[in-house]
Amino acid sequence: MLSKFNWFIFSLVALVGGLPFQAHAQMAHPWQFGFQGAFSPSAEKLHEFHSLLTVIIISITLFVLGLLIYVVLKFNRKANPVPSKTTHHTLLEVVWTAVPVLILVVITIPSLRVLYFLDRVEDADMTVKIVGHQWYWSYEYPDNDDMTFDSYIVDKEDLEEGQPRLLTVDNALVVPAGKNIRLLMASGDVIHSWAVPSLGVKLDAVPGRLNETWVKVNEPGTYYGQCSELCGVNHGFMPITIKALSEDDYAAWLLEAMEEFANNDNDNKPLKIASLQGKASVWEGSNE
Amino acid sequence: MSDHTPTGWKRWAYSTNHKDIGSMYIMYAVVMALIGGTMSMMIRLELAEPGLQFLEDLHFYNVLVTGHGLIMIFFVVMPGLIGGFGNWFVPLMIGAPDMAFPRLNNISFWLLIAATVMLILSVFIGGGAGTGWTMYPPLSNSLFHDSASVDYAILALHLAGASSILGAINFITTIVNMRAPGMTFHKMPLFVWSVLVTAFLLVTALPVLAGALTMLLTDRNFGTSFFAPEGGGDPILWQHLFWFFGHPEVYIMILPAFGIISHIISTFSRKPVFGYLGMAYAMVSIGAVGYIVWAHHMYTVGLGVDTRAYFLLATMLIAVPTGIKIFSWIATMWGGSITFETPMLFAIGFIFLFTVGGVTGVVLANAGMDIMMHDTYYVVAHFHYVLSLGAVFSMFAGFYYWIGKMSGRQYPEALGKLHFWVTFIGVNILFFPQHFLGLAGMPRRIPDYPDVYAGWNMVSSIGAAIAGFGTLIFLFVIYRTFTAGEKAAANPWGEGAKTLEWTVSSPPPFHSFSEPPQFDAKPEAAE
Amino acid sequence: MSNTTQSKRNRTIGLAVVGIVFSMVALAYASVPLYRIFCQVTGYGGTPQITESGPTTAMSQRKIKVRFNADVNSSLDWKFKPYEHEMEVHLGETALATYSAENDGKETVTGTAIFNVTPLKAAPYFNKVECFCFSEQTLAAGETADMPVSFFVDPEILEDPNTQEVRTITLSYTFYRAKSDS
Ligand SMILES: [Cu+2]
Repeated sequence: MLSKFNWFIFSLVALVGGLPFQAHAQMAHPWQFGFQGAFSPSAEKLHEFHSLLTVIIISITLFVLGLLIYVVLKFNRKANPVPSKTTHHTLLEVVWTAVPVLILVVITIPSLRVLYFLDRVEDADMTVKIVGHQWYWSYEYPDNDDMTFDSYIVDKEDLEEGQPRLLTVDNALVVPAGKNIRLLMASGDVIHSWAVPSLGVKLDAVPGRLNETWVKVNEPGTYYGQCSELCGVNHGFMPITIKALSEDDYAAWLLEAMEEFANNDNDNKPLKIASLQGKASVWEGSNE
Repeated sequence: MSDHTPTGWKRWAYSTNHKDIGSMYIMYAVVMALIGGTMSMMIRLELAEPGLQFLEDLHFYNVLVTGHGLIMIFFVVMPGLIGGFGNWFVPLMIGAPDMAFPRLNNISFWLLIAATVMLILSVFIGGGAGTGWTMYPPLSNSLFHDSASVDYAILALHLAGASSILGAINFITTIVNMRAPGMTFHKMPLFVWSVLVTAFLLVTALPVLAGALTMLLTDRNFGTSFFAPEGGGDPILWQHLFWFFGHPEVYIMILPAFGIISHIISTFSRKPVFGYLGMAYAMVSIGAVGYIVWAHHMYTVGLGVDTRAYFLLATMLIAVPTGIKIFSWIATMWGGSITFETPMLFAIGFIFLFTVGGVTGVVLANAGMDIMMHDTYYVVAHFHYVLSLGAVFSMFAGFYYWIGKMSGRQYPEALGKLHFWVTFIGVNILFFPQHFLGLAGMPRRIPDYPDVYAGWNMVSSIGAAIAGFGTLIFLFVIYRTFTAGEKAAANPWGEGAKTLEWTVSSPPPFHSFSEPPQFDAKPEAAE
Repeated sequence: MSNTTQSKRNRTIGLAVVGIVFSMVALAYASVPLYRIFCQVTGYGGTPQITESGPTTAMSQRKIKVRFNADVNSSLDWKFKPYEHEMEVHLGETALATYSAENDGKETVTGTAIFNVTPLKAAPYFNKVECFCFSEQTLAAGETADMPVSFFVDPEILEDPNTQEVRTITLSYTFYRAKSDS
């Protein structure tokens, strides 16, 4: 029993203690116990709610563990050679039905509040359209002359100092910090899911339908995410990098970018290329 | 009925005897578990360190993930718990001479073998299905998986589903119609209750999967467009249909486990089950609520906010009957005179691990919170705590509890305990850190991960090695049981073991009850 | 109970369960049209409403922004764009928007447009009166066509607590090659 208990204390310390000391991280760090930092109103709300949940679930688990340990110590054959015959205790049964209901109410109220908060958006300052492909993302700025660019993973060999492996892309999504941004999600082939944990965003890109959510990045910085719906062979290799800039920097970037990406074909035919290539490589590899 | 026991291979191939068929199911589940387990070992090996360890073809990783999921669910847990222990002990516990349709029972088993052949073909034809066990279109349609591998996987699930449906028809008929005189529903052992509820879930959920799979099959091969937007279909409809089956499926895997655990806790506490009726109806209500919560697997596909709010509330409800079960088990132990033989260790382990998996389930039920968790390792940790540690611990518990009854030889106690401790420590080291990985944002179903996730992945892989070592101990336990096991008495567990299977010899005669046993009102509910 | 009555009862129960199995399969298939109707009626999944006639309620002073999104699946070699990216309309006012489509390919192709509106919760209040998406569209090689849609946003949108804050609705089309044409 002791090892079980130690393990639990360890994890308790881990979960609770993990939260504070990663507050300013913009990506996960080694041996992390909890969430990445929160850099958007949504993420902040979710973190707050999760702290409540953590306390509740750890208390319940410790309570059950405590009962188990007590029963094992107190009612083993040596300690209690003659078993009781009790099989009913109405009050007890009512209590262990009613108390969980109360706990669930305590959870549900803030849960619904968070849910409806995430769903509301005061009018957005700008729109970004995100299209998932096998296996890269493309970003469109409909407000800026339909500027479009693709965002591919950067190979390990081409990484610069300080760029994280498997999270770095050639063209990051760039947005202004502190603005409400409408995110439209579409897919060119299979279902993908665009997720950035530190911003509290995750939404599926489903072919044949447009999805919408929103984000407001609190402060300038670089944030990372990965595709979060199995989408084929390179599912693990279509990361998301999003750079939030101050308003001035963003304006400057926009000017440059509109020039750089001006020649990009934005005539809505980004949906072809990779799916077929990828498939070929899929079958080649595994047949033999 | 006069007859002799058939011998040789015919006894097995043509078997209509519930005990022989049960034994075959159990052996089959053990073999498939070794295959599925090997796949998970390969997954953990690949994930032990950042970068690619041994994979040359990334598609193969997806095939491993898919195969591991399908095998463990359809070819290990379901055959083991329902086909194996269900076949063996439902007729014995209700005092029936055999199952209602013995030949149907034989067909069920061999359909499962046919399904296995299909599944193996699916791996070797066209590189395998890399769709995940959920097989979401469009990834699973012919544009993105153009070889026949997905078709074979679909056929495998069709056959496995048909096998389970036939088995469930058999169980329902047997339980409803063939109980010994005096055994009313409210006196039925809890394991029988659990199999009855499970069988109802099977006959209602599996046909929906069968329908959806057929639609996918015709979408792939015959130009229909149930799930293709260009033909007026919707890929999200697949997810609704799949999870309408998939969520009850979760309870199909865990309810029989509940039944087994109840018996073991009661036996080794030497007390009748606490709150028998509450326990039975908790299972019924878990089964019923299981039908109205499916979209909690789909919180991120773009569901309306009110819809998500509804599924959030409905899902929360399940925690109540589940809590009743946990507390009733503890209350059964309370005041008991407990001994800690191997089955009891696994049962207590089950209660704790299932609690951990249960509370993370409550976290995941929150539609808002799920944005952080969905498709991360937090989910992986959650369902392995309830299934890999819940359902599988109950299978080990059932094995140790009943192996003396089934084989006539008792397992070696010290080795069994060693198996428990090694497994318990191993799986916790394996799965607990996956909560941390998930919270930190690591997506599931990826063969390589950002370097920051290296630490916990290494720990997790070490845990897998320990759990793998536990499996070797288990195989050694089986070996020792059959080569050097002591002869088992009719009832090796003493006063606490009250169900009917302990009234017949170990192993029971080929025809267990030639006369319906006198069921003299000593049910769990009696006092 | 004798053996024969028991096996008779077994058969009855067994057949009843078989009945359940088949009705569940039927239910799975029935869910396909039911799901579609459900989406159309409730606006579930962002499915806009379709009305024969114009708005029934009076035009409101409140305005709402409607944005237009266009995608083309890789199965079609078409260009497809809205003439205007967005427009402001009064609630209850029937407005007309036009997309332009051009077949860049070398053969005559038939396309079909899939549509939805976001935010999804606004769909019940978004009504299409006429739309090119109601039927399949055929374009000869090099042909360009205008594709109009007329719509209005129901002022009821202000009554629904979930949608009150919505100031912008996006209407989205994705052109696929029609199934009948492949
Ligand atoms: Cu993807």
